[in-house]
Amino acid sequence: MISGEGGVKTYIFVWLSLVILTGLAVSAAGMDWGGWSLGVALGIAFLKSGLILNYFMHLKDERGLRLFRWMIPGILAILILFIGLTFLDVAFR
Amino acid sequence: MKNHKDNTVSTLGMWLFLLSEILLFGGLFIICSVYRYNHSRIFHLAAESLNRPLGALNTLILLTSSLTMALSIFFLKNRRSERSLFFLFLTIFLGLFFLSNKYFEWASKVHHGVYPNAPVLLERERGEVLFYGLYYSMTGLHGLHVLVGIGLLSVMFVSVLRGKIDHERILPLKNTGLYWHLVDIIWIFLFPLFYLIT
Repeated sequence: MISGEGGVKTYIFVWLSLVILTGLAVSAAGMDWGGWSLGVALGIAFLKSGLILNYFMHLKDERGLRLFRWMIPGILAILILFIGLTFLDVAFR
Repeated sequence: MKNHKDNTVSTLGMWLFLLSEILLFGGLFIICSVYRYNHSRIFHLAAESLNRPLGALNTLILLTSSLTMALSIFFLKNRRSERSLFFLFLTIFLGLFFLSNKYFEWASKVHHGVYPNAPVLLERERGEVLFYGLYYSMTGLHGLHVLVGIGLLSVMFVSVLRGKIDHERILPLKNTGLYWHLVDIIWIFLFPLFYLIT
């Protein structure tokens, strides 16, 4: 009997969700949502990368070090900080 | 027990490398969003001229290659090396498929005289020059990552074939998988940035 973290079914289910989310992103881009379209596209991208990080890259199963839990949010916080500081400069120049 | 610790440290090292990659592309994303903010009208027009169906197809190809990569690791872990090799081969094939699509996409742009420093492009507005500069450098850097990934996957394929990597010594394959998934994640952000947000 084949066993392991995340079976074949889980992988295929995750892949299907990723494909559906891609379809949603493409069809949402076809509609004119004004300022929302950026948020929708980015939201779907974050959702997709969350699925890949947790299921394909097994981030949710890493129990070796507590550090694993904080890496991705940490790096995102740094990026958001930089984006925020950059736009504070660019927008009020 | 010692082996388990070594594995954890090795995986952590791989993750640190991946985080540095996120910051590398993150910097480029910030540059891109600043120029988009400054030249929003021209970026809108330029983004509409990109081939959206081809971009969507490439997204599906990379997503599927992530699935085959995960399946390859899964089957090797369960001592089914033939199946693992089959899915590894599929992953390499899909990576090459992605790159060939990218080649045709670039070739059609170059054919229309739209490439960095092209005389036709330099006559257009500054925002468009910036857009295509970013388009070529970011998708180019990502394409380079795909190429490196295909190289690594080929090395893994030979190693599994020769039995140097098996269910007990699976770590190199796992780390290659982590890299391949990250390349997929970067594309997941590149795709809406260039093809969808207009």
